[in-house]
Amino acid sequence: MFTDFFKARKAPHPLIRQNNRYFREFSAESPLGEYDFIVFDTELTGFSKKKDEIIAIGAVRISNLQISGAETFYALVKPENNSHTPSTLVHRLTPQELMQADDLKVVLPHFIEFCGMAFLAGHYVRLDFEFINRAAKKILGGVLQTPYLDTMRLAMAFNEYKHGHYYDHYNVRSSYNLAALSKEFNLPEFVEHNAMDDALQTAYLFLFLVKKMRRYGVRTMADFLKAGRNWKIIL
Amino acid sequence: MASDEDSYSPPLTVIVKFLQSALPFNSLDSRALYRLARLCRIDFFPQGTIVFQQGISTVDYLYLIQQGGVKSYLKDADDEISLNDYRGRGEYFGALPIIQNTRANLNVETVEDTFCFLISKDDFLQLLARHREFSQYFLRTMSAKMVKNVYAEFRQHKISTKTESGLYLFSATIGKIAKGRLFTIPAGTAVREAAVIMSEKRIGSLLVTDNDGKIIGIVTDRDIRSKVVARGLVYQTDVAEIMTAPVQTISSQAVCFDAILQMMKKRVHHLAVEQGGEIVRMITTHDIMVTQGTSPLYLFREIGAQRRVSGLYDLSAKIYQVVRSLIEEGAKANNITRMIAVLNDHILEKMLSLLLEEYGAAPLPFCWLLMGSEGRREQTFKTDQDNAILYADSDDEVKNLRAAEFFRSFGEAVIGHLVKCGYPLCPGDIMASNPKWRQPLAVWKGYFRAWCRTPTPESVLNSTIFFDFKAEFGAVELAAELRSEVLGYSKREDLFLMHMARNCLASRPPLSFFKNFVVEKDGRHKDTFDLKRKGMVFFVDFARLLSLKYGVDETNTMARLQVLGQGGYIPESLGMELVEAYEFLMQVRLVHQLHQMDGGHEPDNYIKPGDLSDLERQTLKEAFAVISRLQEFIKQEFHLAEL
Repeated sequence: MFTDFFKARKAPHPLIRQNNRYFREFSAESPLGEYDFIVFDTELTGFSKKKDEIIAIGAVRISNLQISGAETFYALVKPENNSHTPSTLVHRLTPQELMQADDLKVVLPHFIEFCGMAFLAGHYVRLDFEFINRAAKKILGGVLQTPYLDTMRLAMAFNEYKHGHYYDHYNVRSSYNLAALSKEFNLPEFVEHNAMDDALQTAYLFLFLVKKMRRYGVRTMADFLKAGRNWKIIL
Repeated sequence: MASDEDSYSPPLTVIVKFLQSALPFNSLDSRALYRLARLCRIDFFPQGTIVFQQGISTVDYLYLIQQGGVKSYLKDADDEISLNDYRGRGEYFGALPIIQNTRANLNVETVEDTFCFLISKDDFLQLLARHREFSQYFLRTMSAKMVKNVYAEFRQHKISTKTESGLYLFSATIGKIAKGRLFTIPAGTAVREAAVIMSEKRIGSLLVTDNDGKIIGIVTDRDIRSKVVARGLVYQTDVAEIMTAPVQTISSQAVCFDAILQMMKKRVHHLAVEQGGEIVRMITTHDIMVTQGTSPLYLFREIGAQRRVSGLYDLSAKIYQVVRSLIEEGAKANNITRMIAVLNDHILEKMLSLLLEEYGAAPLPFCWLLMGSEGRREQTFKTDQDNAILYADSDDEVKNLRAAEFFRSFGEAVIGHLVKCGYPLCPGDIMASNPKWRQPLAVWKGYFRAWCRTPTPESVLNSTIFFDFKAEFGAVELAAELRSEVLGYSKREDLFLMHMARNCLASRPPLSFFKNFVVEKDGRHKDTFDLKRKGMVFFVDFARLLSLKYGVDETNTMARLQVLGQGGYIPESLGMELVEAYEFLMQVRLVHQLHQMDGGHEPDNYIKPGDLSDLERQTLKEAFAVISRLQEFIKQEFHLAEL
């Protein structure tokens, strides 16, 4: 503790401190419906943690295991490194759009405020979470310690409950992307694929999975955290 | 940030898009839809989830199915299950318990994995209170008993939230708005004394009692002005001599609109409010106008106040404004057409009495006959004139000649003034300016007999106009005599009835085999259909035909249908369907014409299906489907084979 404190060049931003304080100790024993979630998705210039950046964040709040139509977050982010040519952008955002957007310095605190004390969820969320935290460290002097649930891992767990322990995930791994799962589970589908739509699509997947998994005795936050952790994802 | 109106939010877009394609949400404008989407929550129910348990679950949301499906079923005391319904994408559940404020009335279970949009109970009730078309959809889909509860709910809601004037005219009961305390005086009281009491108490009327304290009449400030002052009676005259008897009464349970209609019909400004067989209070035009800003009573008073015929010219145009506000307040078509009829009558009556002052008394008693839609009390805006003069028979040849001359100039004058008031001439020349339609009773009787005895295409056509005659001014007993004679023999005129029945089957409703609307292919009315001639006329002709067959003494189509249904002449269920369908068609026409007049166009009956909402189109198709059942009934009733 003390060494951590002295190592920090400056005190973390109050938002970060509040987050860390809250999630240092929480009870995971309540049914999942008693927790709020922010299901989010980011758009990145690429997958390299070294040189790539966040260019959009989309998120939607889930409370009482229902999606709230009004509580959404969507922001474009102006990349620091202007050398990202249009061809390196995987999404349909034009450089002009991005140049008009706010810096991550501005967007990130808004996003963290939007998240409040909710838990996080996303599809292969570890990647998004790492990009968020890398920025948080740089901008706010600390990282979020919010626990998260990954819909990709939950989907794997669900399929195993459903099909038994011999279910071979590795053979069907390519079908664990968001669009494929949405099709497989017959969810309402969103045609656009920006951060906001994907966040909403993920939220539908999330609701589907957590409610479907109840019948296998997966009920509390602790159950779900455990169910999601059993799967090692190879990228 | 997320609350910015223009921020990008697919949940809202998705919900709005979905609502736009779902009944009855598609009747809401896009602002209302976005507001609603913002309030929506999205929930998921795996297959086999019991969402509602009959009698147990409290219903906090209206559930709109985005994807998936549910079944609803009832369980009786023996646990017997009866399936009620399946609902799928775009359909909803939970509306009824919310509106009735009860627990779930059914069990609802998902039969597939189901995603729903949830609208909270309060938000849904507010929608009902705010959006008339929206709430009418729910009213229409529920039975009469449920509708009663809906109105009760509205009323509660109104009182607690106090939003727009809403359904006030149709929800506020007389018992609630009647302010006038009751003052009685014995019949022997002198007029002077009555006037003193009225000015002391600052009231406009006193009820007059007999020796036993029973109420026998009413004396108003107007009686004192017009009868005592104008006739030069002494102030010691007993009030019994100038009172109006009997007193017009209205139930304290009646709604405001009924009171207005009754006051206008009876030309009175005071009604005694009756409760449990006793008169408890008075209600006056003033009470209503105070509570109801845009009351039709203003126009009613303005018409009554005119002293010159030319003063009436501009007033008929105001009927449109009054009707507009009534529609905005949620009036049903039947109430509106009745209101239009009463206002038109009032203008006509004022005009006729002013002209009689000018022309002097008529040589023979007469009444002014209204024909066609006017006679049926189904006018909308700018209905063509259809009228005639019926006067008493006389043996006095000189008198007859004088009468013919008097009614010629009188009839022509009235028609001219009516045109200036904005009532167009009848293209078929069925008007009191045509000598053929200004006749003594005996001649009229001869006309009707001839039409019945020798049915020609022309006489069948005539029947559609003349057999709906109604007298609202003058010696109405002449019209009553004519009516009772016609009804006396019409039921036996089989050949005539058969021709009329054939006429009812001669055309088909404008629906194709695939239940699409059949519209005009070209010309000025391309892509439209004539709602009156291709739709409403079936109901009107049907009601007339059976009324003539069974001697029903009504001219109004809805009233005819009701009498026929209640009297067992037609199956009650068919009667109800006909009434509902016909009223809906009237409503569509009124709203259509109102839109046209808002846009500065002449109102007509040409409806473009493309301009209607999904909801209206669907209901219209249902209304047209009733026409086939009506025709089927005629075929059986008159033993007519397929034509």
